[in-house]
Amino acid sequence: MSEIYIAFIVRKPIPSIAVFITLLPLILLVVRKAYLDPSFKLLLFYLFAKLVIDLIMLHSASLHRNNLIFYNLSIPLFYALLSGMFYYKINSQSYKRLLTFTMVGFAAFTIWDIFHSNSELNDMHNHRAVLYSMTVQGVLIIAIILLYFYEIIKSLQIPNLLTFPFFWVCSGLLLYFSSLIFIAPVLHYTATWNNSIDLGIIRTIPFIFEILCAVLFSVGIYYFPLKDYAKQ
Amino acid sequence: MQNSEELKWALLIASLAMLTMAFCMISFVMYYQKRRFEEEKKINDIEKNYNRLLLDTALNSEETERRRIAQDLHDDIGTMLSLTKLSLNQLNKLVSKIGDDKQDLIMKKSQSLVEETILHVRRITRDLVPTTLERFGLMEAIEEFINKLEEDNNLVISFHSNTEEFPRQGQKLELTLYRIMQELVNNAIKHASCSKIDISLEVDDQFIGLRVTDNGVGFDPEKIKENNLAGLGLLGIESRLSIVNGTMQYERPSSGGSSAFAQIPVMPIPENKPEPLHPFRRERVNI
Repeated sequence: MSEIYIAFIVRKPIPSIAVFITLLPLILLVVRKAYLDPSFKLLLFYLFAKLVIDLIMLHSASLHRNNLIFYNLSIPLFYALLSGMFYYKINSQSYKRLLTFTMVGFAAFTIWDIFHSNSELNDMHNHRAVLYSMTVQGVLIIAIILLYFYEIIKSLQIPNLLTFPFFWVCSGLLLYFSSLIFIAPVLHYTATWNNSIDLGIIRTIPFIFEILCAVLFSVGIYYFPLKDYAKQ
Repeated sequence: MQNSEELKWALLIASLAMLTMAFCMISFVMYYQKRRFEEEKKINDIEKNYNRLLLDTALNSEETERRRIAQDLHDDIGTMLSLTKLSLNQLNKLVSKIGDDKQDLIMKKSQSLVEETILHVRRITRDLVPTTLERFGLMEAIEEFINKLEEDNNLVISFHSNTEEFPRQGQKLELTLYRIMQELVNNAIKHASCSKIDISLEVDDQFIGLRVTDNGVGFDPEKIKENNLAGLGLLGIESRLSIVNGTMQYERPSSGGSSAFAQIPVMPIPENKPEPLHPFRRERVNI
């Protein structure tokens, strides 16, 4: 059984690294007790959920099974967890209310998109990636990050952004979703069993930035002020 | 096939453009935040300096006003009292010729009252302007202050310094230390119910330290800080110290009582050292 996985990892090293690199921020988060902060607690859930889903997808991909249903279902879950992180960080009540609406609205939109992208939901073998949801998620996350940056600049409460953990988390997410935003809708057409279009190196760009995102998460968690939170 | 290649290029360019924008956004936020902090710091510094200047001006005005009052007391009231004393002396001679005991007694009492008033005026004038400080320096001024206090109160006040010859400092610095010492000793007498006060002066290349310790009831420095209980006297000390970049520490010695320690960085004495101030010269003080 392990040969199948090893063969897959050797065949697709960058996507595989993108799966296992999640362990780095996850372990750091636990070691540095960053989960004591509510936003980082949600980041812990996000990383854990991402690792589990990625491993299931890796397992399915190794066995040449269609795993896109996990990709589609993970979108609203990841959005809820990521926007939840910002819910605790953003100060403005109106932005918080807006975030709550987008969480509910986006979940409904993704469900609609799954049905819209797959006329035959029972046919798991030919299940396709959602057409709009991933792009919408990217746009929403980028917009939330920009709002958060705007608040940071306006409030002037953080003297040095380079040692502020959540800034690194935001930077990682911004880069990852920027790399994915144009590629995501194309996956609906290319990620199929009878695909004639091979995106080649472009398909690996989001994986590279997923790895970079995990590294930036780790940097942020490394700067987490352990001494201040260990007392709690 | 050609469409596929075009799609790839389009995706690559779009993704790279988006990533460039993301990188630029992150860099911009970092740069802009840093710049705003620097600007904010500059504004704070300007505000701080302005407040310091205001405080400095206020204290200078206070000293000028003290000097003016002292001068008026000496020149006007002092002179008039001296003339009154002379007139009384002449009158006394006339009264003694008449030989009326009752009139003689009233005359003696009037003379004694005038003399006492002259002494009071002199004391008030000296209290208002510490001429000893300006002429002879801090150590002599403190010693004189202690002598006067010991005469009037049932107190034991000791003074010691880590140097025999305390080097002369800038006028502002000496006056600040003197006024702080005065306030701390007056506080100890008024509030601490103490029987002994110890004043010490320490000087090195960088700092001058003034410590006033008493054996009175003492106070909790933390409570005063937390509850903003500091009165005008303590606030005045803080204000004076802020002008000369000094610090203040209140301690509670294990032996009881309280101890206050003021530390001021040594400042270079200006080359054109002003003439010693004279209480009886009408001039504006620029310390």
